[in-house]
Amino acid sequence: MKIYLIDDLQHLQQHLAQSYQFHQVVTNSDGQCHWQQIASAATKPVVHEPLIYEKPQSSAKSFFFAEQESVLIFNGEYFQETLPTPKPFVLFGVQSCDLTAIHYQDKFFKDDPYYQARRQQCLLVGLDCISPCEHGFCPTVNAGPGVKDGYADIILHSLVNKQWLLIAQTIKGSKALQGLALTETHWHYLTQRDLVLHQCENEFPDDKYITDGIKKINSGEISSEFWRKLAIQCLGCSGCTTLCPTCSCYGTRTIKQDNNHFSQQRFWDSCLYEGFQREASFNNPSAEAGTRVQRFWQHKFGNEFFTEFSRHGCVGCGRCEQTCPGVIGIHSVMKRLTEEKEQKNGQEDTNA
Amino acid sequence: MLNHIPDSIELVDYIDDGEQARHYRFRLLNLKKDQIKNHPHNWQQVQPGQFFMLNVPSVGEAPFTFTEPPNEQGEFKAFIRQMGQVTSALFNMQRGDILGARGPFGRGWPVDIINNNKTLIVAGGCGLAPLVTLIDKLSEKPDNKQQLVLIYAARNKATQMLTPERAHWQKQIKIFNTLDEYPHTSEDASDELPVTTVQGSPLAILPKALSTFTSPPTTALLCGPEVMMNSVASYLTEYGMTSDAIFLALERRMHCAVGLCGHCYINHQYVCKSGPTFSWQELMQLKAN
Repeated sequence: MKIYLIDDLQHLQQHLAQSYQFHQVVTNSDGQCHWQQIASAATKPVVHEPLIYEKPQSSAKSFFFAEQESVLIFNGEYFQETLPTPKPFVLFGVQSCDLTAIHYQDKFFKDDPYYQARRQQCLLVGLDCISPCEHGFCPTVNAGPGVKDGYADIILHSLVNKQWLLIAQTIKGSKALQGLALTETHWHYLTQRDLVLHQCENEFPDDKYITDGIKKINSGEISSEFWRKLAIQCLGCSGCTTLCPTCSCYGTRTIKQDNNHFSQQRFWDSCLYEGFQREASFNNPSAEAGTRVQRFWQHKFGNEFFTEFSRHGCVGCGRCEQTCPGVIGIHSVMKRLTEEKEQKNGQEDTNA
Repeated sequence: MLNHIPDSIELVDYIDDGEQARHYRFRLLNLKKDQIKNHPHNWQQVQPGQFFMLNVPSVGEAPFTFTEPPNEQGEFKAFIRQMGQVTSALFNMQRGDILGARGPFGRGWPVDIINNNKTLIVAGGCGLAPLVTLIDKLSEKPDNKQQLVLIYAARNKATQMLTPERAHWQKQIKIFNTLDEYPHTSEDASDELPVTTVQGSPLAILPKALSTFTSPPTTALLCGPEVMMNSVASYLTEYGMTSDAIFLALERRMHCAVGLCGHCYINHQYVCKSGPTFSWQELMQLKAN
């Protein structure tokens, strides 16, 4: 690991844009933030926008796990794999919650050729958050505010004097910086970084109800009646699963072409859809909306997933709270969970 | 890396067998000599109870079990009931048409535990299909210390399936039938096969079937509607069998068959990968969360 001090991000942005398709979070005209590809520096010098701390509406998951993609084609005789072939690209300024999600999905999709074809072409430049964001609670789920070691190739940390601390974390990150005039700096800047991150953690609002809620989800004490009542507010819109950076369920469909040829696609699906588990016989193990809502939260906070991922599925970004039209995102659900009295199946709860 | 790509297969032949059900014979195509041994899909290592994904061109994929694993010529069999879009399209296909298959997938029956043990099998309707290769294997052992009893449950006579197979097995093993809708007096419930047949669910015949064992069965294998399997498993544990000696094969919607698409979840496991066979003990633990 090497650390550098830089005064101006422009040089770094322009340097990386020479070798990578350059993506950064920008604010559009109606004030929404989203990932966008910046015009290539190969054609003309581009003045890059400054990095912003606003959380993008969508995480970076679609860069690796495409919203829809072709898996294979059939020519009437043979089935052929249609692997994506992206050019090398950089995601410049990925925040810790979203990086934690990428790390989580790297494990889940470790043997998936389509995910890996994209992932291996990507350079991740992480960005330390230095103040809490709306709805975010990354420290509570061990996903921020600072970028975790090994979760990005390069980490950026802003200093008070408008300078930036640049930390090369991986060989890939170091190689990407080659050719850029950089001077290594003192390790004490890392201590300063730790202090800033610690202070940022302390600025997050009290969210004991989330910690308590997680315990409760794992206690087996929540009545099915609680989930059933909660699910009355679920519109089955898939907003939460679409925006959740760790949700990755998909369906498949075929696109007919001429002469018995077809392509097969996979596309984002949602465990909150009524038909998600419905079989051809119409047998449906999760026909009840309450069962499906319970599944979503169990998948995010169930301790049983620790064996595989060494962490919970939730990375504390708060996007589900932001998007849910039925007001059953993370904060609303956890508050209702902790307010629910110890009640067993079939009994009324007082909060519905 | 995982291989999501099917091999081309030819629809060789089929016979009608039971209500809206057919026994299909397929053949793997484009496999050069000996290629089957080193193929990305492990077609020569199919275990009883494993499944494959059948790809019906321009329609989609669905999981089916082998009733006969691929031989050296790449021919294999599957019992398929017409149910949804994929199977309806399959039933319209002709001999010689080309489809796709990938597999084998999942964890099959616990063959090592079953060998040389007293085994009770309870199958309902199409649920007999995943047991065919296993029963074939066990019933034909020359030095058969095995004591095998099969209870086969169906809604009515028309929905009894795999008739040739059952006719063949009854020479070697004890079979009981149950029918939800028992034939009227003018018909004989067991006219085709001289098999004890009673009205009701498998629970109606379980005491009698269990009494045919000289000592209680050491293993029970269940496959059929989940409600049926659950009630039989509960009965057997009350009867005295341990929950780790009872195995159930589950059916779930699947798209990928490799533990990625998420559709076949039971808690933190995926039926395509950890199953489709689970012990009753494992299932109860999974469903408790």
